Amino acid sequence: MALDTILQVVISGLLMGLIYALVAAGLSLIFGLMDVVNFAHGELMMVAMYAVFTLWQMTGLDPFILLPVVAALLFGLGVAIYRLLIARALSVRFNRGMVQIFVTFGLAIFIRGFMQFWYGGEFRSITTTWLANRTANVYGVYLPLPQVAAGVVCLAAFAGLLAISRTEFGRALEATREDREAVALIGIDRDRIFALGWGLGAATVGVAGVMLAGFYYVSPNVGANFALIAYVTVALGGFGSMFGALAAGLLIGEVEAITAQILEPSLKQVGMFAIYLAVLMFRPRGLFGKI
Amino acid sequence: MKRFLLATAALVALGAGQQALAADDVIIGVVYPLTGNGAPVGLDAKAAYEVAADIINSTHAPIPMVMGAGGGLSGLGGAKIKLVFADSQNDPQKARAEAERLITQDHAIAIVGSYTSATGATISQVTERYEVPYMSADNSSPSLNQRGLKWFFRTSPHDEMFTAAMYQFFKDEGVKTGHPVGSVALFYEDSIFGTDSSTVQRKLAGEAKITVAADIKYRANSPSLSAEAQKLKAANADVIMPSSYTSDAILILRAMNEIGYKPKAIMAQAAGFQESAFLTGAGPLAEGAMSRSSFALDAGPARPAIGPVNALYKAHNNKDMNDNTSREITALMTLADAINRAGSAKPEDIRKALVATDIPGNQTIMPWAGIKFDETGQNVKGTPVIQQVTGGVYHTIWPFEVAVQPAVWGVGQ
Amino acid sequence: MDRTTGMNSSITRRRRRELVVAGVLLAILIVLPLPIHDVYTRNLIIITLLFAGLSQGWNILGGYCGQISLGHSLYFGIGAYVSTMMFVGGHIPPPVGMVAGGIVAAAAALLVGWPVFRLSGHYYAIATVVVQEIGYLLALNWDFIGGASGIYVPFRGESWLNLQFRIDKLPYHYLVLGFAAVTWLVAWWLEGSRIGFSWRAVKDDVVAARSLGVRIFHSKMVATAVSGFFTGVGGAIFGLYVGYIDPDSILSGQLAILIALPAVLGGVGTLWGPFIGAAVLIPLRELSSSYLGSSGNGVDLMLYGALIMGVALLRPQGLVSLVNLVRGRAHGAA
Repeated sequence: MALDTILQVVISGLLMGLIYALVAAGLSLIFGLMDVVNFAHGELMMVAMYAVFTLWQMTGLDPFILLPVVAALLFGLGVAIYRLLIARALSVRFNRGMVQIFVTFGLAIFIRGFMQFWYGGEFRSITTTWLANRTANVYGVYLPLPQVAAGVVCLAAFAGLLAISRTEFGRALEATREDREAVALIGIDRDRIFALGWGLGAATVGVAGVMLAGFYYVSPNVGANFALIAYVTVALGGFGSMFGALAAGLLIGEVEAITAQILEPSLKQVGMFAIYLAVLMFRPRGLFGKI
Repeated sequence: MKRFLLATAALVALGAGQQALAADDVIIGVVYPLTGNGAPVGLDAKAAYEVAADIINSTHAPIPMVMGAGGGLSGLGGAKIKLVFADSQNDPQKARAEAERLITQDHAIAIVGSYTSATGATISQVTERYEVPYMSADNSSPSLNQRGLKWFFRTSPHDEMFTAAMYQFFKDEGVKTGHPVGSVALFYEDSIFGTDSSTVQRKLAGEAKITVAADIKYRANSPSLSAEAQKLKAANADVIMPSSYTSDAILILRAMNEIGYKPKAIMAQAAGFQESAFLTGAGPLAEGAMSRSSFALDAGPARPAIGPVNALYKAHNNKDMNDNTSREITALMTLADAINRAGSAKPEDIRKALVATDIPGNQTIMPWAGIKFDETGQNVKGTPVIQQVTGGVYHTIWPFEVAVQPAVWGVGQ
Repeated sequence: MDRTTGMNSSITRRRRRELVVAGVLLAILIVLPLPIHDVYTRNLIIITLLFAGLSQGWNILGGYCGQISLGHSLYFGIGAYVSTMMFVGGHIPPPVGMVAGGIVAAAAALLVGWPVFRLSGHYYAIATVVVQEIGYLLALNWDFIGGASGIYVPFRGESWLNLQFRIDKLPYHYLVLGFAAVTWLVAWWLEGSRIGFSWRAVKDDVVAARSLGVRIFHSKMVATAVSGFFTGVGGAIFGLYVGYIDPDSILSGQLAILIALPAVLGGVGTLWGPFIGAAVLIPLRELSSSYLGSSGNGVDLMLYGALIMGVALLRPQGLVSLVNLVRGRAHGAA
């Protein structure tokens, strides 16, 4: 295989991996905080994509400009979901683990039905953005600009999450994650932290969704295409670890790209699943898992 | 639990009772995916059938096609066609159950369907057992009419016929331009549609002595198709032959563009490539793409019915008729014609009338030679066309007799 | 000594009562379809009973043993493929094929369980999904079992040996009723057995269980084998009933959730939970899809999702707790 082909494969895998990483980050954050796996995570991303599509349709503004708006919208949605559903789920006395799984699962189905109800099942595309369909050619390696932009934004988002972790809010998040029983003793309102944590997790996947809408299509079932990869990425990186989500995302992206070259592309996901299972055999809590 | 089951039974009976209608209405069941991944196609199909039923039933200026006079079924004293829709969710089990429900509860005397071949397989099993006709409007798998079923009828050509047309076009265009096709790249999704389509394409490539430079089976609805695009670029075949649904069609064109690859020619097995959402989503990248089609919107002069029917459809659903919706309308017209000729709503009479069907092409909206079923229930006169996207719209380029413009032929350039 | 004997006899009394209730229910279900001639309703009851049995099978691993598997459609699919291929290709009668399917599925469950059981909680759940997805992808690409085209079950004529009937649904009703009854009985027996106690110990507190000498891994393996077996048999029955199988319809993630859901809604780890859950969930899902889904506007999905959320939040112990409430009130009044 020629060098530029190899480079192309590696870079494509990297760019996709950054997206996987960002989708996984929000999921990992929420889980790390309160032990809840959000099975509606893919659907939240889908909502963000529809949001940016609708705003783009109405205003004609580039998704970049709309990014903070949609992120804020998703933040609000995350907080609302926490207050209306998750808070109740956490206070349940029986089968708490199962309740959490199925509450978010039911939410996922509900959101999917609602989006089909509101928008119809048709595929939508954002077609006239600043970077649409533009590619840069760097020494024979092609860099599609929408994906590169998405990758940059993802890295920026991770940097943002890191910055947040240094703030007081971030430290409160960390403290709640470590010992959610004891934080009340040091004056942290756990409920508020959980709500904000959900908001942040939703906003994070919202950012991923907005960037994705620049080169992927929008439909009610889009969330499902990314969801499983997101869960695998989080579990591989270790629930609760932001760095794990980033590392695992990149790894998964690369494995997928390389497997597609070596094997039949229809089996490319088998590669990432196999790697995932293999890692778990030796590190049952994921690569960098803290829980 | 017993109480719940009895209540359920009562509810169902109530529902069934409410379906009882005017005694002379002829009830036809329609099974399509109305929710889930197949919903865009299923909802368009619903609109198409509603338009067709309206043309048959209501009073209007006569449209120059079979059953285009309106006013109901003259052979049954003006009885109207009543459509009952059911959601298959693209699930064979659900499709089967719904077809059965339509036959037993709603007393449908025929079933029309169903887009995917898996659902077509189970629905036609049911109709065979209940001895009512199944009209396959748009199931394209060649194996469906090979199961020895008596009650299976398919107006649409199947993928073997479509693919044969593609290779005939390659031959004709090669002779005409002096640039024959030397190699093809097969690019197909991993479901029944993709695998069946690629099987025929591979076989016919061998018979035509054309090299298969790449044979790529890909995972449908993947987050990314850049690796697949890489392989296509590396193969650099004369013609890429995709068998893809809408989402993947948009994605692969974008993916190829992203790695700086402009294919010499694309010949699609319709499906996603013929959807308006694809043309919108792919935009300028779709220019020059070719596709087989059962339908030619621009065949107006030869098919005068297209104008009025398309106007009605566009008014109802905000878009032009396409490959799928035109076949769906045609299927219902054909079925209604058989019922009309039979002069009866009894399934056996309708079946005999279907067997005797012989509709000339110019009495339909399709560019076909006509509609006539062979012993397996397959329409053997369904002649496909080849179309190409120019200016964001598909134009017919083959057979040369019905072409509206010559092909933009990228092979050998 | 007295108190223990008293407790033991009250347990025996409760268990005997459960058998009686089951017997009565069985009798009702035997007679139920006879006056109902509507084919759709009969089909609905069959699917409901099938999922009741499937969910009970899942419950053995997920409810009693606490291992939440979200990828059980793998065993369902294996059972269906084995049995269907044996019938279509080898002309082997389905009753044999079903048992064979169950055995192969159980073997697969053991194979999967061996590495996967060292994972806990959410890691385990996601691992089961991943294993099922791998199975799905492999099946999709394996031409020997039909690949994406699936396998079409030809109708070889009306036959009790082949369990094929042209239109009559009654035989299938009794087949799935038998299936559901057997799974219930096995669950009932396991509940009172020593392995059942081990499972409850594993589920409640692994550390304490180990200290009591419970062989954790061994218990989990037994649970998964039994669970896998019944799921496989259910899949085989489904394949024959529907007459066509392909990876999308029998190895999907959606199906895996549908197998677990009745137990969750009805009450995990309880004897009646899966049955109550199936009786509520399946008719609701099918009816809302048939009568509301035909407009294609997604309302049926919203209802389905809302139901899951509602039961999970409002009745996390499952609907079976409502039944106990009623019974408790009745007893209290008496």
